Amino acid sequence: MIRYILTRSALLTGGLIVASLLIFLALRVLPGDVAQVIAGAEGTPEQVAQLREELGLNEPLPVQYFSWIGGVVTGDMGTSLITNTKVVDELLEKAEVTIPLGLMAMGVALVIAVPLGILSALRRNKMSGTALSVGAQGVAAVPVIWAGMVLILVFSLWLGWFRAQGFPRAGWEKPGDAFMALVLPAITIGIVEGAVLMRFVRSATLDAVTRDFVRTAAAKGLTRTQALLRHGLPSVGLSIITVLGLQVAGIVVGAVVIEKLFNLPGIGRMLIDDVGARDLPLVQGELLVLTAVVLLIGFAVDIVHRILDPRLREASE
Amino acid sequence: MFRRTAVFAGLAAIALALSACAPSAPAQPSPSATGPSATGSPVADGELVVGLVLEPDNLDIRHTSGAALEQILVDNIYQGLVTRDEENKIIPALATDYTVSPDGLTYTFTLNEGVVFHGGQPLTSADVVASYTTVKTDATVIGNREFANVATVTAPDASTVVITLTEPDINFLFTLTTPAGLVFSAADTTTDLKTAANGTGPFLFDSWKRKDSITFKRNDAYWSDAAQLAEVTFVYIPDFTAGVNAATTGDLDVLTAVDPNLAVNFDGTDFVITTGKTTDKATLAFNNKKAPLDNVKVREALRMAINHEAVITAVGSGVEQFGPIPELDPGYEDLSDVVSYDPEGAKKLLEEAGVKDLQLTLTIPSFYGTTVTKQLVSDFNAIGVTLKIENVEFPTWLNDVYTNHDYDLSFVLHVEPRDFSNWANPDYYFGYDNKKVQQLYADALATTDEAQSEKLLAEAARIVSEDHAADWLYTGATLTAHLPKVTGFPMNSVNSRINLANVAIVE
Repeated sequence: MIRYILTRSALLTGGLIVASLLIFLALRVLPGDVAQVIAGAEGTPEQVAQLREELGLNEPLPVQYFSWIGGVVTGDMGTSLITNTKVVDELLEKAEVTIPLGLMAMGVALVIAVPLGILSALRRNKMSGTALSVGAQGVAAVPVIWAGMVLILVFSLWLGWFRAQGFPRAGWEKPGDAFMALVLPAITIGIVEGAVLMRFVRSATLDAVTRDFVRTAAAKGLTRTQALLRHGLPSVGLSIITVLGLQVAGIVVGAVVIEKLFNLPGIGRMLIDDVGARDLPLVQGELLVLTAVVLLIGFAVDIVHRILDPRLREASE
Repeated sequence: MFRRTAVFAGLAAIALALSACAPSAPAQPSPSATGPSATGSPVADGELVVGLVLEPDNLDIRHTSGAALEQILVDNIYQGLVTRDEENKIIPALATDYTVSPDGLTYTFTLNEGVVFHGGQPLTSADVVASYTTVKTDATVIGNREFANVATVTAPDASTVVITLTEPDINFLFTLTTPAGLVFSAADTTTDLKTAANGTGPFLFDSWKRKDSITFKRNDAYWSDAAQLAEVTFVYIPDFTAGVNAATTGDLDVLTAVDPNLAVNFDGTDFVITTGKTTDKATLAFNNKKAPLDNVKVREALRMAINHEAVITAVGSGVEQFGPIPELDPGYEDLSDVVSYDPEGAKKLLEEAGVKDLQLTLTIPSFYGTTVTKQLVSDFNAIGVTLKIENVEFPTWLNDVYTNHDYDLSFVLHVEPRDFSNWANPDYYFGYDNKKVQQLYADALATTDEAQSEKLLAEAARIVSEDHAADWLYTGATLTAHLPKVTGFPMNSVNSRINLANVAIVE
């Protein structure tokens, strides 16, 4: 087990290094730079050249990369070229929106996926089970942005239950308002992600139903549902944990789109705007943090999975 | 007064917004297009929430270009010696008055008494000298190019500033109304102008929540009449639909830059919509240096192919513009005789030019959407020209089109007033090099006679249009939606200036 954790940690570190290189290089491929953006459509070539020099854009790429990574290792993510604010401060401020949004979306996805997934597996030979399964296929294919527009139309503009957009300027000092502002966006992401998740839950449940131990329990006089709930669920739970790790990436992507649509001041919206301004130190920091979150959750899921599933433990020992 | 309405389940936001917006307002007459129709007395400590589209990147108006900063900071936070009113006329600001010598080379300004910066420093002529010397000597400061022929900036005494030019420049006073003319405190060496502000205006910069909002508070120590509003919050909503939703569900008192195609959403609400003029020139640039666009017949054919009325209908607002100078700027004249919609004539011209199966690429920053490009594709298609659309991010446009001149056709809104100089600059991305135009423009600047200057500008503009150096699809109009309780909110050029000094909330 110790050896396994060490191996996975090495992989995680390697993954982060590769990611940082990819992020750094991909951003350098983009045409245009922050000096041009600051000088704008009235700037002279001399102005742009002088700004480039001042902002350190003329340094060789390896120098730029290592000074960035050197900073990250010591906890200094850098400073925005445009706003002169610390990347860490920006991230922390925007995380107040994105992290609760992600967790709420995850919650919505689970609330939808687990009961409906199990139900559609148990009723797989009935109309209702088929309808659930087909419905999930359909909803999973809906673009998040369209789902968001429909929800805004119905629940904000017609019914007026929720804000159509925005986040209270007082933030979490008014927890009620802040929570309400995130409900609709979280439902939007949660419905679509939940439909994807539901199909996993369904197949995991089907898998469990046909397992020997569930069949044995059923033979002892339990109904099939009782047998599944008592003996099969742990293995379903394990499958869900694994998939949830993968879903984080989907939720992050969803947040980028949804924060724009609902005008939420979160990491996703910041990312789009900062790429648009070529504020590369900020974008690098944002992307690295997002990548690290996804990789860390994957890492945690693997470890938990191993601890919970005796078969995997035995296989490696 | 309600700033935001918390929405509870089961209560319609619309109903709430209505009840929150005008609890004691008298019945409103039907909204007119001329602006506010509210009657009543101003609220002593009004708080205003304004929806805007483009958020600035930082507060450093000296080093950062773009209308987003100018829109909120000029007149409200920072002031120059002079400013301009809604009709683009030059009026005094920090200066009580000014004189220009008959030869157009010496400008003498007298400063107002008792002006104090937000940081407590009294304003003297030394601050003006320091500010303008920086613009003149530091190439990274906005306006450095426009200050090229400033010879000296001196202060004979604490309340007088004298500026001399090497040659006359009839646009110089106007330059002083731009960010180049703003006055900063020479004594203040500690304020980080990127994240804070220290000006002389009627409002103080209070706070900024990035990607969300910027808040100003009233400057109670203002040197002239204090503002009516105690607090103004600018909320940034890049998505047009989200902006309209924010307004109609009670989050905003004013929404600027209403998408004309969404204006219908305000029907049946309390909001009044005003339509203002701008100097936004929707410029379809032709790369004049690149074959076959270096052939005037090809350029004329492209202009004749465009159905401008249909473009304006699709965009939803704006007026036709047939030359480089818009109606609000000096030198404007109606040039509709130069070109008209004539697809058949366009085909003939292409034939004469010996051009067959022409394929062109239009580079357009993606935030302009697809309304204009759809129309252009079908218009050009009708004369046998295939138009490929390349949607790019703005920095890519700056790099490829603006800097490297690597394009066939380009579309951007040129919003700056009085920017005819671009047509007299052969190195500008238009690639338009006409000695006659350059001479006329130089003469227009050098004369001290305004009427003569306008005449010369008009002559130059006609040549540019007759050369078909570009097509001007329309001059933008700007739609602003405001609640009846908001009075004095500007209508014109709202995208580049929002002077809040006289805005009030009445009840």
